[in-house]
Amino acid sequence: MRTNAKSVQLNQLTKTFITSTRGEVKAVQNVDISIGPGEFVTLLGPSGCGKTTILRMIAGFEMPTSGAIMIGDQNVSTKTPDKRDIGMVFQNYALFPHLNVFNNIAYGLKLKKVPHDEINRRVHEVLKLVQMDDFAERVPAQMSGGQQQRVALVRALVMEPSVLLFDEPLSNLDAKLRVHMRDEIRKIQKKVGITTVYVTHDQSEAMAVSDSVVILKDGIIQQVGSPQEVYQHPVNEFVAKFIGKANILNATIVEIEKDRAVIDVHGVNFTVPVTVPSGKGAADGIGAAGSKPREKGSKVRIVIRPESVLVGKKDFKAPVMKSVYMGTAQDYKIEFLGNAIEISDNNPTTKRVYNEGDIMEFSLDEGSIHII
Amino acid sequence: MRKITYALKKMLLIATVLVFMSTFMVSAQGSEDKAETLTIYAGLLEEHAALVAQEFQEATGIKTNFVRMSGGEILARIRAESANPQASIWYGGGSLTFIEADNLGLLHRYKSPTAEVISDQFKDPNGAWTGIYSGYLGFVADQEWLDDEGIDMPQVWDDLLKPEFKGELVFAHPGSSSTAYNVLVTMLQLKGEDAGWEYLQKLNENVRQYTKSGSGGGRMIQLHEVGLTIGYLHDAIAFKREGYDHMTFTAPADGTGYEIGAVGIIKDAPELEAAKKFVDWCLTPEAQELGQTVNALQFLTHPDAVPPQEVRQLVGTKLIDQDDVWAGENRSAFLEKFNALTRTQPL
Amino acid sequence: MTGGGPVFPGSFPSIFSDRIRSKSDRNPIDGVPIEGVPIVSDNKTTRSLSRSGNSFQDGLRQLRFTLRDPVLLVSIVSILIVVLLFIIFPLFSILKESVYYQGSLSIHHFRNFFRQAYNLDIVWNTIRLGISVSLLGTVVAFLFAYATTYLKIPSKKFFRVLSILPMISPPFVISLAAILLFGRSGLITKQLLGIRSDIYGFWGLMLTQTLSFFPVGYLMLTNLLQNIDPSIEEASQALGASQWKVFRTVTLPLMIPGLANAALLIFIQSLADFGNAIVIGGNYTTMAVQIYQQGIGAYDMAGATALAIVLLSISMLAFYLQHQVIGQKSYVTVTGKAAKERVLIRNKSATIPIYIVCMSISVLVISMYALVPYGAFVRLWGADFSLTTKWIVYVFTIGRRYIVDSTTLAIISTPIAGLLGIVSAFLIVRKKFPGRRFMESSILVAIALPGTVLGLGYVLTYNTPPLILTGGSVILIIALVIRSMPIGTRSAIAALKQIDPSIEEAANICGASSKKVFTSVTIPLIKPVFFSSMVYAFIRGMTLVSTIIFLVSARWQMLTVAIMNQVDQGLYGAANAYCLVLIGIVGIVMLTMSFILKRVGVNLKEGY
Repeated sequence: MRTNAKSVQLNQLTKTFITSTRGEVKAVQNVDISIGPGEFVTLLGPSGCGKTTILRMIAGFEMPTSGAIMIGDQNVSTKTPDKRDIGMVFQNYALFPHLNVFNNIAYGLKLKKVPHDEINRRVHEVLKLVQMDDFAERVPAQMSGGQQQRVALVRALVMEPSVLLFDEPLSNLDAKLRVHMRDEIRKIQKKVGITTVYVTHDQSEAMAVSDSVVILKDGIIQQVGSPQEVYQHPVNEFVAKFIGKANILNATIVEIEKDRAVIDVHGVNFTVPVTVPSGKGAADGIGAAGSKPREKGSKVRIVIRPESVLVGKKDFKAPVMKSVYMGTAQDYKIEFLGNAIEISDNNPTTKRVYNEGDIMEFSLDEGSIHII
Repeated sequence: MRKITYALKKMLLIATVLVFMSTFMVSAQGSEDKAETLTIYAGLLEEHAALVAQEFQEATGIKTNFVRMSGGEILARIRAESANPQASIWYGGGSLTFIEADNLGLLHRYKSPTAEVISDQFKDPNGAWTGIYSGYLGFVADQEWLDDEGIDMPQVWDDLLKPEFKGELVFAHPGSSSTAYNVLVTMLQLKGEDAGWEYLQKLNENVRQYTKSGSGGGRMIQLHEVGLTIGYLHDAIAFKREGYDHMTFTAPADGTGYEIGAVGIIKDAPELEAAKKFVDWCLTPEAQELGQTVNALQFLTHPDAVPPQEVRQLVGTKLIDQDDVWAGENRSAFLEKFNALTRTQPL
Repeated sequence: MTGGGPVFPGSFPSIFSDRIRSKSDRNPIDGVPIEGVPIVSDNKTTRSLSRSGNSFQDGLRQLRFTLRDPVLLVSIVSILIVVLLFIIFPLFSILKESVYYQGSLSIHHFRNFFRQAYNLDIVWNTIRLGISVSLLGTVVAFLFAYATTYLKIPSKKFFRVLSILPMISPPFVISLAAILLFGRSGLITKQLLGIRSDIYGFWGLMLTQTLSFFPVGYLMLTNLLQNIDPSIEEASQALGASQWKVFRTVTLPLMIPGLANAALLIFIQSLADFGNAIVIGGNYTTMAVQIYQQGIGAYDMAGATALAIVLLSISMLAFYLQHQVIGQKSYVTVTGKAAKERVLIRNKSATIPIYIVCMSISVLVISMYALVPYGAFVRLWGADFSLTTKWIVYVFTIGRRYIVDSTTLAIISTPIAGLLGIVSAFLIVRKKFPGRRFMESSILVAIALPGTVLGLGYVLTYNTPPLILTGGSVILIIALVIRSMPIGTRSAIAALKQIDPSIEEAANICGASSKKVFTSVTIPLIKPVFFSSMVYAFIRGMTLVSTIIFLVSARWQMLTVAIMNQVDQGLYGAANAYCLVLIGIVGIVMLTMSFILKRVGVNLKEGY
């Protein structure tokens, strides 16, 4: 397969709907995203956050209210979808039900008047890529969801587009297949090296496949960064809660230096690192993600991830309110410093398990506490 | 896949061709006017009209179209189309409707050379219309029904008011049928206006249905649908000749009205020359005699034309002294009064 | 006739029963009617701008966006023009004529209209008939639908075919046959029972309209009954309810919105019915007939337009109610098939009486249809039952031009109606453009437009400059197209809403232009609807009488009008012969169409 990756730039992209029931709805607001050639970027957010609208604007199905979409060095904002050199994989596969697998994949090539032999060669090449060479004669109705989505993927790939779009491609599949397929998508994307924009509401899926993640809420970018960055250094409460589990506590800064701070949580002091958020969104100071003043005496919020609580160490004691065995971990809820804190303790079989009503002994990994 | 797209392409192609064909037909309509054509609104039996149109086309080479309607309908249509007349000839139907049309300025006056020999009583002095045939009004009944019920055939107009005819009498609505309008004015002339209206009101009690065209009552007798109707006697004779032996008829002993079936040219006729040719042609004895070959058995207006054998028995019928001009002039007023009286509208 | 079976049962229900707006639009924002999308460059300035100015600009922007594709521009504009010129403008002409008196606005004509007792009689006649027919028709329709979906009885296929028959035959056949059967000289009344009955009027109309219009309700109700999940009823049975109780407490309540919908549908049809009313109505005049009589028969346009406005208002009210009913109270999901096979009811105390009733009605309908070919060969009905070919000869000589004209015009209008229907549905469901809602509602409202009202509108609008169309073939073709296209649009809308738009988007993004998407994906996917709406358009073209009776001319004549004239003149033999020819032509075309459909179907499989 030829690689044809191009960059994608969204400049101040805005989309507003006027609805009869809710008046003006801003689906997407001033979105700036820059995607390098071959990069895999995921748009992540709850439903209604505007991620699908952004994708559909890139594809050309929706008209931006303002702003521009650049693919490579071309402004494609006013082009029809068929002129944008884009491939797309849809949530519900969107295979042509009246055509067999071969003809589904060959559809675009035939439109391009690619010679017959080459169509044959290219269709079989991509079918091999997803180990489906034997399915050429099947019709969509005769295949499972996973098989259909593979066909949909290679139908997009066979056109060798400069950008590949995914609109929640795995949400109709069962949990196991979802994990398998996302690995496959990532593998193929790396192999082909195609620029990819992927939309999902599933944060673990986003973490697993992406080079970088764009987190959206109400049409506004909250944070842009690698999976590690957005998990470890969420810029706000929304991101912290949306990516993984997070315990959010109120705190007061007692002392602040360049890279560390002493904070007071309900009378207990912790020394925590101060990080400058490095994600693009935060760096650009977009929307709600702007940083609050951090000086001595200012009130802040902190994030404690469930796995940052080290069970068994003896710094603190707290009563256990709930204890659930999860197989790979034992999940607790404890009452600590006036807050309910959720804890996830890995490998419970090798450790002491606390029951409800027990007093747990633990300590905190101060280095992983994050001020937002 | 290829075959489907091929089939679809072919279908789209056919559709496009058809659309083009239809536009072509529109333009053809325009160009048709260059070749000589004639459009006729015919107020007589379809078969008769078809034969006349065909014979005229053969005789002159003018392509002839016709549409068959009742007299009232033709008048309404000519009025509606007066800004843009679609037809040139009005052929057949009672002279009363022609007179009203002339009063409304809807007719082109033309004195045909053929009409010179036709008696003045059969034509308009100004040439707005010329008579082609005439017929007498009378009673037509189902003899089998009369026998079954033991009812005598009515002989005079007042017999129609007898209770045994209640719900068994059908005739056409004067608004849509020139035959029925003729009945209306015959009553007004025979009995005098006040008594005439009174009579019609009483008659209404016995009427089951007002049909659209004048021949409707006859066919209902023919099918035993009703017992009695008022219509043209020549129609009844025609039915009888077709084999409906149960149909019986009488001419009212106290006098009856008659109709002149006429021909006229419509004002601003798009095919005026052809229309004149048609009028000249249709008044000839040969054209007038065509009717009897398709069971149209009226008296003919041309002195040389031979009327059908069957109507000769009607010679000697007592006729009223008919003032057609008066009847034609008052048509709208009389119809309004009739509608109000009977609470009906033309059907 | 029955050869068309595969074309109909599958597709006609969707024509009549689908809802107008699907509630399951994919994207909650997409699903909301969008009046326009504002240009937002700065939050503050947007708020200070007036909404209307913004909406207009946004409309333009949206239009420009949609119309990046010139094919779309052409199709949107041409359909909007068709809708404006041939649906909206004629109605406007009627309204204008009815409210103008001596050069100024006035309710004079309406006051005049309501002052005359006779006119009030006509309005009451029409409503009384409509209500009776809709009640009776719904009962018969439900009986047939229940029998064919719920009961274990023989001859179901026969019932199904039979109940379709009245929909595809000319409107006069049943009235004509009713006269031949039950008239004064009717086979049953006179020859068999020896009574002198009177079929003309209310009872005759009620009989013929019920038989003509119950199939519409039947197809709709069958569709709904088939979609009731049997497990709902089984659940009730498991709780100890008897079959009768299940019917009374579960099935019937579930069907109430459907029944109301069917009743309104039949009511609308009865209101608009012209063919039966003019043939068998006698002195029982209805509004649809009176509009014609007054406008064309008596040249009283003022009176006719006032009447037309009254009729139109009643129809529109019924249409509105009908969509309220479907819109809000449908418990039965129309999408998706029943989860499993229904266990048919075998209880003899239910099956036997229902079977007998359905069979009697079927035998009646069958005998009516058998009378037509028979009557075409009878010399003189009522007097001389000897056989003759004289009527057949008559229709092929004198009547040849009617047959040729009617068939030509129907053939021309069929593909136009089919294409316009499917293209308009595609635009309405899939595209955003200003005027989309207008297009949708105008086309769908045209379904409930009584034919005589439209005919009157055409005469008023196109009889005078600047655009004179009367007297030619074009206006007839337009009338035929407008009378059948909306049904095609509606069924195509329903079909398109079942198809995920992303399939078309996928084609688009694979490099297909919107025209290519339409021909290579959309049409193949809704092919059955496309074909069945073409078949419908042809049948409608051959059988329509109400609208075109205003528009026939000496140059262009229609078979149905010829039949009507023959009936009026008492030439029943000729009328029957015309009907026979008409049914023959429709039958041949339907067989050819279903043959083509099968051929395409076969090719389709080869392509896999």
